[in-house]
Amino acid sequence: MLSQTLVNGIATGLVTALPALALTLVFGVMRFANFAIGATLTFGAYAAYYFNVGLGLPLFVSAVISAAITAALCVLVNRLVYQNLPGASGITLLVASMGVAFLLENFVRFIYGNSVRGYQIQAVRPWRLLDLRISQEQIVNIAVALGCLALIWLLLYRTSMGRAMRAVADNPSLAAARGIRPARVISGTFALSGALTGLAGVLIGVDGAVEPLSGYNYIIPVFAAAILGGIGDPVGAVVGALVLGVVEEMSSLVLPSTYRSGIAFVVMAVVLMVRPWGLFGTEPIKK
Amino acid sequence: MTTVLRAETIAAGYNASRIVDGVSLTVNAGEVVAVLGPNGSGKSTLIKTIAGLIPLSAGTVTIGAEDVSGLDASARALAGLAYVPQEHNVFREMTVWENLALAYEFLPRARADSTEVMALFPVLNDRLAVKAGRLSGGERQMLAFACALIARPKVLLLDEPSAGLSPRYVEEIVATIQQVSASGLGVLLIEQNAAAALKIASKAIVLVAGQVRHAGSADEIARDESVRKLYLGGED
Amino acid sequence: MMGYLPTLLSLLAVAIAVGLALNMQWGLGGLVNFGLAGFYAVGAYTAALLSLAGVPPLAAAFAAMVVTAILSGLVSFVSLRLAEDHLAIVTLGFAELVHLAMLNEIWLTRGSLGLPGIPRPLSTFVAPAYSDLAFAALALALVALVYVLLECLAISPFGRALRAVRDDDVVAATLGKNVLWIRMQAFGVSGAALGLAGALHAFYYNYIDPGQFGPIITATAFMAVIMGGRGSNLGVIIGAATVLLLIEGSRFLKDAFLFLDATQIASVRLMLIGLGLILLLIFRPQGLLSERRANSKHLTGGP
Repeated sequence: MLSQTLVNGIATGLVTALPALALTLVFGVMRFANFAIGATLTFGAYAAYYFNVGLGLPLFVSAVISAAITAALCVLVNRLVYQNLPGASGITLLVASMGVAFLLENFVRFIYGNSVRGYQIQAVRPWRLLDLRISQEQIVNIAVALGCLALIWLLLYRTSMGRAMRAVADNPSLAAARGIRPARVISGTFALSGALTGLAGVLIGVDGAVEPLSGYNYIIPVFAAAILGGIGDPVGAVVGALVLGVVEEMSSLVLPSTYRSGIAFVVMAVVLMVRPWGLFGTEPIKK
Repeated sequence: MTTVLRAETIAAGYNASRIVDGVSLTVNAGEVVAVLGPNGSGKSTLIKTIAGLIPLSAGTVTIGAEDVSGLDASARALAGLAYVPQEHNVFREMTVWENLALAYEFLPRARADSTEVMALFPVLNDRLAVKAGRLSGGERQMLAFACALIARPKVLLLDEPSAGLSPRYVEEIVATIQQVSASGLGVLLIEQNAAAALKIASKAIVLVAGQVRHAGSADEIARDESVRKLYLGGED
Repeated sequence: MMGYLPTLLSLLAVAIAVGLALNMQWGLGGLVNFGLAGFYAVGAYTAALLSLAGVPPLAAAFAAMVVTAILSGLVSFVSLRLAEDHLAIVTLGFAELVHLAMLNEIWLTRGSLGLPGIPRPLSTFVAPAYSDLAFAALALALVALVYVLLECLAISPFGRALRAVRDDDVVAATLGKNVLWIRMQAFGVSGAALGLAGALHAFYYNYIDPGQFGPIITATAFMAVIMGGRGSNLGVIIGAATVLLLIEGSRFLKDAFLFLDATQIASVRLMLIGLGLILLLIFRPQGLLSERRANSKHLTGGP
């Protein structure tokens, strides 16, 4: 029973890890919490829906296209909205991202309505592995998420672009002194963030359902994961998401499942009161 | 004598204030120019303005033949300026190797062959895989210096490079500055340790309350009584 | 059209109350509250449950204000460690919890069936024909009182302290101001305004269910505050009126664009508000009022 909980927790945690990572990367370079992450998840889910159900393409292909489109969308939103608010505080950017969220989510709702939809995938019976029940969706989610995380890790820690992103997140003026153009790094970060989130939106749609609120429902867990790990820290975001996923699954052993989403809220509130810089963060010094 | 850096009557500050006003200076290739002055006289602001981190309220900054007054810090780095801040001058979470890589991979003028530069800092060669945050103060300063040089700049801006370092490291820093300036680099140096700075500089300016109070060759400044009073009397 | 006026005025009163609350929290206090709908809902359900249980509606409204004020203050306690940009998400989380409670605690709230038959204040004194008009007048009067109170607070030393905390909480803390307590008080007082707004909502519609308390409430409040110039209470009134006109005006879209269904109209509304928020922040962050009033020079918006 416990190991099943663990497996379930890791599966959901890995899916949450992608948008949590996206959120933390943007926070690292822009110093604001992107509230539109939820609506972006929804957008990614529906973009794939269009290609999968609308055009009949296989889900895998649709997911990749969706990731690309969502990446482009995020870069565009950054150029049109956030870059037009120079010198704005994190709070102002947060409110602007709420505006973006309203736009995105309701654009999707305008086209597709509120009804719950699903992708065209073949139903497969769950696997049984050592007394554990793992559905095909979970396997796919785990595999894709792990693959993405591995790629991101390589990008961040083994390429010059990744070094530039970490540099800008650590010390923007020193990064500039090294010849790193902040605008390019920010655009790149939004593209990466968009791709991750779009893909995660598809995974969520695969595991659950495709509906306008699906992304919104993930906002709290995604933020909680990023905050738990230390907002701005990529490794922290992933660890935070995994821990949160497992904690949520374990809580459903004792709490009625309807209040499960409250767990993320409690975790987040506790972290913010006790150790706001999270597990992996360091106590911030105002620069 | 090629001029690598020229600042003409520059003014800068935060909001409406002018922390630096009407400052002009020139650095030629192979020269070390020292910027001296009491605490709070605007030396750091001056160097940050030249580096492009604080926007110019007035005046012009030229690197070589290029007017960089309207350009941001990254563009000025591309134009050949290397800036070593006093604090936070390395990326602590990155290894020595990553810091060095980052220092040249975004600057086309930097050549990949870094052996000359690394020869100046043998201590770093043994520590390539160490996170910068784990280095000693002196080693970190060496790293910051190496990162600036690896970019093959035309002019080097140093903000208090010997601050808080043990005498051994101070000696090394001074020797390195002399070596690089001899190889044709122009150096603009802020240094609290006025005596040491004047020994290696060829020119000096004294900044008081954001304005140039004295300017001249290093010898002249060193011998100037009023300057000495400023330093021996009013400084802590 | 005359029959529509009481409706418009009642909704305006509610919108102003919500805007004033956010203005104190964000405009003056620099604290973003994304969970406005949750506190509003608490106010509505408290007032509804109490008045359905026989408590005189006005007293129920007052109780709603108190309950919401206390909850607001408690939630703001999370900003204990000065994590003000995360307070936005925490308040959202709280609102989600409230939403879950409304849906699932069926023994109390009847879940999605909702609570019908909520009596209005002073309904025994007014002939049914004038009920809507009387309610509108009452709502406006109550909100006017709230306005006066909040305006007084804004000008008072408390208001100055709040703005000081908004501008630089670290400095304020070193100057000896108890940042957390100031924030809790601001959230508490504005929470009362939210509670009143929710109570008025419940009385006006006579029936509430969890689906009524969605993002449109939060969106309206933010638009009103931004339009009004973040910090100016008078500006909030103008902002609220403008947003309300936009929302109510879009009802007539249905007739003009027959091919749009109700969900689509609702989405267009929110899209327009979203777009409006963005455009205002970019092009007119100081609000729509073309000149600052003399006494609001120190009141207008920070981050």
